[in-house]
Amino acid sequence: TADRGQQLAGIQGLVLDISGVLYDSGGEAGGLPIPGSIDAVKKIKASGLRLRFCTNETQATRDKFVEKLQRLGFDIAVNEVTAPATAACRILKERNLRPHLLVHDDLVPEFDQIDKANPNCVVIGDAADNFSYQNLNEAFRVLIGLEKPILISLGSGRYYKETDGLKLDVGAYMKTLEYACDIQAEVVGKPAKTFFQSALAEMGVEPQQAIMIGDDIVNDVGGAQQCGMKALLVRTGKYRPCDEQHPQVKADGYVDNLAEAVDVILKQLHK
Amino acid sequence: MAARRALKAVLVDLSGTLHIEDSAVPGAQEALKRLRSAPVAIRFVTNTTKECKKDLLERLKKLEFDIAEDEIFTSLTAARNLLEQKQVRPLLLVEDNALHDFKGVDTNDPNAVVIGLAPDHFNYPMLNKAFRLILDGAPLIAIHKARYYKRKDGLALGPGPFVTGLEYATDAKATVVGKPERTFFLEALRGTGCVPEEAVMIGDDCRDDVGGAQSAGMLGILVKTGKYRAADEGKISPAPYLTCESFPHAVDHILQHLL
Repeated sequence: TADRGQQLAGIQGLVLDISGVLYDSGGEAGGLPIPGSIDAVKKIKASGLRLRFCTNETQATRDKFVEKLQRLGFDIAVNEVTAPATAACRILKERNLRPHLLVHDDLVPEFDQIDKANPNCVVIGDAADNFSYQNLNEAFRVLIGLEKPILISLGSGRYYKETDGLKLDVGAYMKTLEYACDIQAEVVGKPAKTFFQSALAEMGVEPQQAIMIGDDIVNDVGGAQQCGMKALLVRTGKYRPCDEQHPQVKADGYVDNLAEAVDVILKQLHK
Repeated sequence: MAARRALKAVLVDLSGTLHIEDSAVPGAQEALKRLRSAPVAIRFVTNTTKECKKDLLERLKKLEFDIAEDEIFTSLTAARNLLEQKQVRPLLLVEDNALHDFKGVDTNDPNAVVIGLAPDHFNYPMLNKAFRLILDGAPLIAIHKARYYKRKDGLALGPGPFVTGLEYATDAKATVVGKPERTFFLEALRGTGCVPEEAVMIGDDCRDDVGGAQSAGMLGILVKTGKYRAADEGKISPAPYLTCESFPHAVDHILQHLL
C-alpha cells in the first residue's frame, strides 16, 4: 500500500531478533530454523541493506551461539551480533563492579576477564536449569547483604518458545529478585534504549532509517519504537494472537514470518 | 482509623515471634501464660506454609507452649477454602508436609496453581509448568507473598518473589490468601466474636503482620525478633502502633495499657 511505501522510505538497515525469528531453540540439534528464514537472511545481505542481529540470548557465549546458527545454515558472523553480555562487561569495568553471576554455565566465559572476588553486585541472565532455589537464594543473599544492592539483568523478557514449548525468560527471575530485595534492576539488552542504540551505531544507521523485526511485542517492537525505529512483529516464535491487541504497543506491521517481512520490504524498496 | 474499643482479641504470629525454628523466643511461654490470664481471645495466625496445622501444633507443644489446634489459623486453611469455593483442581507447589491440609482435594489434570513456600519445587522445570498453566488461564493462588524468611543459616527467599515472577511473565494477578490480606485477618477473627477495632496483632514482619493488621482496622505491634531488621518500622505508613524488643514486652504492654 501507499502507506507502507511511505513507512519504508529512507530505510537503510534491518535489525533482526534471532530466537523466534530465525529459529526456534531447543531439542537435540539446539534448534530448528523457521521455514524461509535462512533464505531471507541471504536476500537481505544481497540487497545492500545493512543488517544487524540483536539478541537477548544469554544461554551461550556469542561465539558458541553464532556457531550453532551457522550449523543450522544461517549466514551470520560473530561481529554482526549485538548481545547483552558484552554490554554488561563494559558496565562492570566502568563502574568497578565485581559480579556474582547467576547465568547459564555456557555464558560464564564471557566474564573471564572480570574480577568476581568479594562481589558487590549480581548479574542475572537466562540461566535456565541454573535457576534452582539454591542459586536464586545465593544471589538474593549477596544482594540483601549489600548496603546499596545492584542487580544487572541481561534482558527483561517474560518468556520465549523452545521446540518443546514456552519457557520462562530472565525477566521473570529478575522480578523475583527485585521483589525479594525491594529494588529495581538495571536492564542491559532489549528493551533498553542504549542497547538498540549500540546496535544502530555498530551498523552506522540512524533510528528512523532502521526497522526492527522481532517476535516479542514488548521487548522487540516496543523497545525499538521507543528508540525511534520502526518495528514489525512476526507471527512465529513466542507470538500469540493476543499480541496484536496489546494495550500499550502497536507494531508498524504484522507479518507471518521473517520471509514475508523481507519480501514486503524489498519489494517496496525496489519500487 | 475507626474509634478504638476495649481490647478483646490478640492475634499472634508464630515463626519469628514465638519461636525461631526449634527454639522458643526467651520468655515467650511465660508471657503467653500471663496473656491467658487476661479476658481476651487469642488466635495464632501464620503464613508458615511449609507445615500443616498438626506439625505446627507438635512443634509448639515440644517448645512447651500452651496452644490448642482450633486457636491456629493458617494461610493453608484459607487457600483450601478458596479452592473449594472456586471448584478448581490445583497444581500444588507446597512442601510435602503441607499436603496434609489439602487431603481430598482433586489434583488431576490441574487447572489452577497454588504457591506456598516450597523450596523443593521452586526450580526451572516446575516453574515453567506453573507458568504454562497460568498462561492458559489457570488462576494463580498465592498462600502469601512474603519476600523472605529467616532460617538458621540466614535469610531465604519466600514465596512472594516467585509469585511476582510468574505474575510478570503471564500478566496475571495472583489471589493472595495469607497475611497481609484483609480477608485473612477477618477470617482469623471469625469465631472470636470480635471486630478488628477490638483486636491487636503481634508479629515480626512489618508489612505482612503489622501493616496488614492495621489496614484491616487492628492495632499492630512489631517485635524485633525473627526476620526483623533495623529500621523495618519505617517501611509502613502509618507506622506500627508499637515496636518493642520481643513477644514478652508486647504482652506486658497489652496488660498494662490496652485492657
